[in-house]
Amino acid sequence: MPFVRGLDLALVLWPSFLAACGASLLFFAAVDPALLRDAGPRVFAGLEREAGYALGFLFFWAVAAVASALSVYLIRTARTPPAATHAASDER
Amino acid sequence: MASVTPLPPPASPAPFYAAAAKVYPREIDGRFSRLRKLAVVLLLGLFYGLAWLDWNGHQGLLFDLPARKFHIFGLTLWPQDFLYLTLLLIVAALSLFFFTALAGRLWCGYACPQTVWTELFVWIEQWTEGSRSQRMKLDRAPWSAAKLLRKGTKQLLWVALALFTGFTFVGYFTPIRSLGSQLLSLSLGPWQSFWVLLYSLATYGNAGFLREQVCKYMCPYARFQSAMFDEDTLVISYDGKRGEPRGARRRGTEPRSLGLGDCIDCTMCVQACPTGIDIRAGLQYECIACGACIDACDEVMDKMGSARGLIRYTTGHALQGARTRLLRPRLLVYALLIGGAVGVLTFSLLTRTPLILDVLRDRNALYREVHGGLIENAYTLKMINLDDRPHRYRLTVSGMPGLGIVVPAGDILLPPGSVNSIPARLAAAAEAAGGVHHIVLTLATVDGSGIAVHENTRFIGPSP
Repeated sequence: MPFVRGLDLALVLWPSFLAACGASLLFFAAVDPALLRDAGPRVFAGLEREAGYALGFLFFWAVAAVASALSVYLIRTARTPPAATHAASDER
Repeated sequence: MASVTPLPPPASPAPFYAAAAKVYPREIDGRFSRLRKLAVVLLLGLFYGLAWLDWNGHQGLLFDLPARKFHIFGLTLWPQDFLYLTLLLIVAALSLFFFTALAGRLWCGYACPQTVWTELFVWIEQWTEGSRSQRMKLDRAPWSAAKLLRKGTKQLLWVALALFTGFTFVGYFTPIRSLGSQLLSLSLGPWQSFWVLLYSLATYGNAGFLREQVCKYMCPYARFQSAMFDEDTLVISYDGKRGEPRGARRRGTEPRSLGLGDCIDCTMCVQACPTGIDIRAGLQYECIACGACIDACDEVMDKMGSARGLIRYTTGHALQGARTRLLRPRLLVYALLIGGAVGVLTFSLLTRTPLILDVLRDRNALYREVHGGLIENAYTLKMINLDDRPHRYRLTVSGMPGLGIVVPAGDILLPPGSVNSIPARLAAAAEAAGGVHHIVLTLATVDGSGIAVHENTRFIGPSP
């Protein structure tokens, strides 16, 4: 299956966006970004909570996007699409 | 030996992705269109209005993320109240399942933000660019001053609406009035600007640009909602037995005499569809159950002198001539689960104590001998007043005769929503203090509001 720029980009960004929303909700309900700032490396010093939420969300989005991108890459680069392989083995 | 069947050669890649043809939904009037307009006005009215509603001197609905406090009118929730949010999400998900099993995709057609905002954006489009045929003509026409004016006005209104939506959205997370004055004085912080712009972009992109493609390509619910469906679920369906064979006919002719069904193949149902499908091909996951095709077809049936309802809300069983059962085990299970979750939510909210007391024993010394032959223990009390009013509290101790409170001597006043750490010292006569005593510290209001918490700890004296 060829790479399709627009669709593949959407398949990478959109599910990871949803996952990042869920992850941010769960994570920041339990963890106060101000505590992370105080305990974390010096580059975070002086940041507000709002910045913590935004950076956290972007971080989750980026990580989830990497996972989505790998999934799309593996599906796109398989010699036979998984669906065709399953169909063939079902027939036997 | 098993023979190996070679895999079939891979099919030549079909045009996997083509630019989606633009859908120009036809403007229609009817029962379901009016119902949807009502839902749009109601839901968007709530969204744009509730943020400005004040309650006891503060914003009524404010999920104050910078302060990590949720204000829901008289109720203030803290991060430790996460259970309520979880329960609320469970109730919301189960309600979605319940209503989907009962009446199909009510959510998609009337309540989903995607539908509601798209409707609003389409209204603007109709107002600036005209009816369906006018819009199609305008898109085909070469650029001219008139086209620029119409398209420009539309874009201007869309962008303004998207920005106001983004602003309102952020106004639920930081106080909207101060956000408004910051915006007017152009002193909005970088992160608030980021969120306002991100949400504006999402609104514009989803409701102006992507529209039905969100439902068709992006929405997970559209793909799995059919799992909640059964033959008794209300769906929008074309009555093929009555409509086929379809074909054009003159008004007033009896279709059966021409060997035709009631469908005159006018394609109004297709033109009215906001997702651009043909409902006559059967139930499809692209159908958001908005009912636009029902309104369009009813109008045509009225004109042709045929009975309404060639396309209608019906069930699989009804179409097959069987009886529709409203009460099904599936619905009862959903209803029971919703009832249970609502019960737990209500009970825990009603019995919630808006006060937290943590007692930490002094780590440096087990006990101290002080003047007057007394044995003293030191503690740190961490107190959080979770209420949205200030309260006056008194500390009392029980579980050991002769034990008294040295500090704090008087009552303690805690402002609303405040976290306080204060030292406490308890003392007892040396002869009564030997060994380890399990005691209970009680912090209770003295202003008649009846809020009290108990905390177990220990009082330690010299070994007897």
